[in-house]
Amino acid sequence: MTSLTPTVSASGLSLHYGRTRALDDVSLRLTPGVTGLLGPNGAGKTTLLRVLATAVPADRGAFTVLGHDPGSARGRQEVRRRLGYLPQTPGFHPDFTAFEFVDYVAILKELADRRERHREVRRVLEEVDLGDVRGRRIKKLSGGMRQRVALAAALVGDPGFLVLDEPTVGLDPEQRMRFRELIAGAGEGRTVLLSTHQTEDVAMLCHRVIVMAAGAVRFDGTPAELTARAAGRVWSSTEKDPGAKAGWRTGTGSFRNVGDPPPGAEPAEPTLEDGYLLVLDGAGTTGTEMAA
Amino acid sequence: MDLVGSLWRTVPWRVLAVAGALGLLIVGTPLATGAEPASWQTLLLLRGAALTGGLGLAFLLDDPARHLTAPVPTPRLVRQALRAALVAPFAALWWAAVLLLTPSASRPPVGGITLEAVAVGAFALAAAALAVRLTDEARPGPFVAASLLLAAVLGPLLAPEDWALFVQAGDPRWPLAHERWAVLAAATAVAGAVCGPEPLGRRRGR
Repeated sequence: MTSLTPTVSASGLSLHYGRTRALDDVSLRLTPGVTGLLGPNGAGKTTLLRVLATAVPADRGAFTVLGHDPGSARGRQEVRRRLGYLPQTPGFHPDFTAFEFVDYVAILKELADRRERHREVRRVLEEVDLGDVRGRRIKKLSGGMRQRVALAAALVGDPGFLVLDEPTVGLDPEQRMRFRELIAGAGEGRTVLLSTHQTEDVAMLCHRVIVMAAGAVRFDGTPAELTARAAGRVWSSTEKDPGAKAGWRTGTGSFRNVGDPPPGAEPAEPTLEDGYLLVLDGAGTTGTEMAA
Repeated sequence: MDLVGSLWRTVPWRVLAVAGALGLLIVGTPLATGAEPASWQTLLLLRGAALTGGLGLAFLLDDPARHLTAPVPTPRLVRQALRAALVAPFAALWWAAVLLLTPSASRPPVGGITLEAVAVGAFALAAAALAVRLTDEARPGPFVAASLLLAAVLGPLLAPEDWALFVQAGDPRWPLAHERWAVLAAATAVAGAVCGPEPLGRRRGR
């Protein structure tokens, strides 16, 4: 873990939807760079992102973003001035061009000077490789391009804290690769919180990873620390090991097993995904999987 | 000014135009056919037109980009109020046209029927603001419109006699009914304004 001054500092965040506990006493500190947020569906990732993006208030707990507390109207305003948010399902006004839409978001972000704002809009559209199609209507753009328009809208105004909710969902491998480059670039000099189901995204992009399950943080550490959770707990065999937590046939025909290996098992190199699976496997029994 | 220009383009003008056209069609049909409606028929047509206008306004706060623009510094209340302000002059002109299309001989008191139309519009906007506040729906318009339609059908059927709203122009209860319409318009306007600001916190201990 880094000792940099935290951009985001949250303690005891809880949120219920009726009887469903969406967030359960979540505390975290985010520092500059890309932090990955992993977890199964319903783990509370999107809820946490929405709370930190001030889109929905928590029931309990508090947090600050770049020193501002969104618990007051003025504080929330200050947080929002420093925030970029890409939701899971962005949604657009389809008759707007890419430029007009990002400009619209820039206006809502209080970029008042028209000339400077237009320069900023052109900059972020260039940054996400949409400079050539900025005059094209959003309804004429592909899914990947629309996702990049949404990223440009999040980036406009150069926010210090960027919240990205599964930005690579539905993108083909080439688009995902391009998005990784963009997110890596966005993480230079600012704090990015990236929710994803893709462990490869986390392994390639993030200096830190948080694993959530059932609304709570189950792991908080570096990708290497998460991978190390699986050290000595991954092995190969010719048959699926019935004692394994998870096991699957690989392309070479052998089985890759994750769990508690039997004596004499042939160890295999662990991956971040193995560590993630093991943390999740323990999520039901312990809430103290926090890395030191 | 840029904010107004951008918000202008986010207003669902097509839906509003369709609702407006439908309202004009409702009141204009007797004129087009040369019929001379009785005063109760004219009142019914005007109420129908007001309802179609309200149905159009139910879509005013629909915003497909709602989730992306949720955490922006420009407050939601400001954006909603500006949308309503942009539409208001056109709604007023449309209502004037609706009134002019009705035969003056059978037209009910303009103040009273206009108050009814204002109350229906305020109700539609308040319901839309409530839907935006309570749900994550980016386009709550269809649900709000359906609710308004249901209220318009059930209201006259279920309202107690002492609280009658839909009375005839010659009815001695007309003035009292329109005091109720005024209360309804004011209450829904206040409710809509209360729903506009985004909450800073939620109720605890649930």
